[in-house]
Amino acid sequence: MTYRRSHWGTAWIPLSAAFVLLFSGVPSHGQTPARPAAPARPAAQIPRMPDGKPNFSGLWQALGTAYWDIRDHSAQAGPFFQLGATGAMPAGEGIVEGGEIPYTPAAAAQQKTNLQNRMKLDPEIKCYMPGIPRANYMPFPFQIIQSQRDIAFAYEYATSNRVVNMGKFKEGSVDTWMGTSNGKWEGDTLVVDVSSLNGNSWFDRSGNFQSENTHIVERFTLADADHINYEATIDDKTIYTKPWKISTVLYRRKEKGAQLNEFKCVEFVEQLIYGDLEKKK
Amino acid sequence: MRNLFLMPIAILAAAFVLLTASASGQPAPSAPKTSPPKNWVQPKTPWGDPDIQGTWTSDDCIGTPLNRPANFGDRLYYTEQELTDRLNRLKTQHENDLKETVAADQRVGTGPPGHWGERARRPCTQTSLVTDPPNGHVPDMLPEAKLRPVPEGAGNNTPKADTPEDFSYYIRCITRGVPGSIFPVIYGNGQQIVQGKGMVSIMEEMVHEARIIPVDGRPHAPSNVRSYMGDSRGHWEGNTLVVETTNFLGNRTGIVGNGGGTPTSDVMKTIERFTRISPDEMKYQITIDDPKTYAKPFTVGFPLTMEPGYQNFEYACHEGNYAMFDSLSGARAVEKKAAAQKK
Repeated sequence: MTYRRSHWGTAWIPLSAAFVLLFSGVPSHGQTPARPAAPARPAAQIPRMPDGKPNFSGLWQALGTAYWDIRDHSAQAGPFFQLGATGAMPAGEGIVEGGEIPYTPAAAAQQKTNLQNRMKLDPEIKCYMPGIPRANYMPFPFQIIQSQRDIAFAYEYATSNRVVNMGKFKEGSVDTWMGTSNGKWEGDTLVVDVSSLNGNSWFDRSGNFQSENTHIVERFTLADADHINYEATIDDKTIYTKPWKISTVLYRRKEKGAQLNEFKCVEFVEQLIYGDLEKKK
Repeated sequence: MRNLFLMPIAILAAAFVLLTASASGQPAPSAPKTSPPKNWVQPKTPWGDPDIQGTWTSDDCIGTPLNRPANFGDRLYYTEQELTDRLNRLKTQHENDLKETVAADQRVGTGPPGHWGERARRPCTQTSLVTDPPNGHVPDMLPEAKLRPVPEGAGNNTPKADTPEDFSYYIRCITRGVPGSIFPVIYGNGQQIVQGKGMVSIMEEMVHEARIIPVDGRPHAPSNVRSYMGDSRGHWEGNTLVVETTNFLGNRTGIVGNGGGTPTSDVMKTIERFTRISPDEMKYQITIDDPKTYAKPFTVGFPLTMEPGYQNFEYACHEGNYAMFDSLSGARAVEKKAAAQKK
């Protein structure tokens, strides 16, 4: 066993124990640290890669009802009475910091139009790729596969996915639904810059929307082994008067046998999209 | 160049050709890859698994038939002379690809523009994609399998087009299935592999598949959880990633191009083997065992290569599926016209 002098005192303790102390944040022997307080570090043990970086690998899912409306909302009936209670919208606390999205007046009107025409316009209804950040808080899990280099995100909804480039920053060559993701580390936080979005994505089922000029910076921080604090800053001078932020929690799916399943929803929407073009029986 | 006035246009054209050539990332074709560099050692991930990460493509065997043409008999590999001939053909194709215009009498197809397509960078060394049985042919199909309806594939100019279900799962932008999502076709052959500890993911460009393959020894999903892409479990045999896939929905995609042809069944089990043999080449093999469809198992194999500048692009298929809209509305228009003429 390797012994090394503890950072906090004169006692010799096993190196492995020192690591436990270091990462659990428990001060050793109640001694006063001989150096200034360490920078803020998660209090709990978090999984780490061999190089010490936080390890986000696993199956994650948001709870809450932000997928209905990222703003605060009361419970209300759904669009189809036939679905009864299963089609209704539950109440929920929003994930927008400060509560309101700073739309320009024209964009605020657009959001209302979107909501009124949701059944025709919401990309989720049509099984289109959900875009970022919406993919992260839909009522479906997603898998993060973290390598020593790039980090893959596979979303169950519509088999959408993205690979976060952790190498040299790469400009997106075309605008896409899922955008171009470039990641970097800020301490224990994974910061992902998302650009080259095609502007067709919504934030929720309430018509909140983005444009092809929207630029998003996401921040993933492990609060402990099973929770990610997720934040995204959204900036777009063409439709918002200032940058705004959402924040929520992603939970690790821990049920026995839980895995990323397949939700290829195209066949579930063909009747909706093409029904009027079918041959009349 | 006698007409100096034309020079700037020629330079502009040359620049455009260079641009398109670099945009498609397609350099002039070269001879097949030879044995790996002598001192090459399979790299490992920090947690000790063989590292097979990167964006791979099956481009080099574009156009190689699934079943071997009869004249090659049991011979899987081309001779040196045959390879030289094939390389020359690729070079001619490459030169034609770079041409801005074609002569009036030259036959041209009506396919997508050249920069959409992908080309083999070197001749495929194989006479067929099927490597086993030795005759290079998919074994006989069982009589009951032949009765399964085959949805219309691409290239059919007079599809039934009564409903979307008349079309293949590929045209419907649902999936090309397993193995269709890795077999070489005219474009979109990218396979981006990202590995985590205990998990391998393969992002397949066309129809944006994300195959999630646990390599941590967990059992398969319950048999009632079924899917187009099946339930994959992997393990390492030396430097080879072995992936077993079961739990297919069945009666969806087949093994011909883009998941077309007679659909395979719900009892199909596939075993894939990914073996990186050099910094930029991987041996890929898939054994297909479907006792409800084929008389016996068979194996298909081809190389995957890593090419400078090659990357996956988002294949937003369903989101822009004008083909489905146009086919259905076109068929209805034809019917309307026919009905009017009857009156």
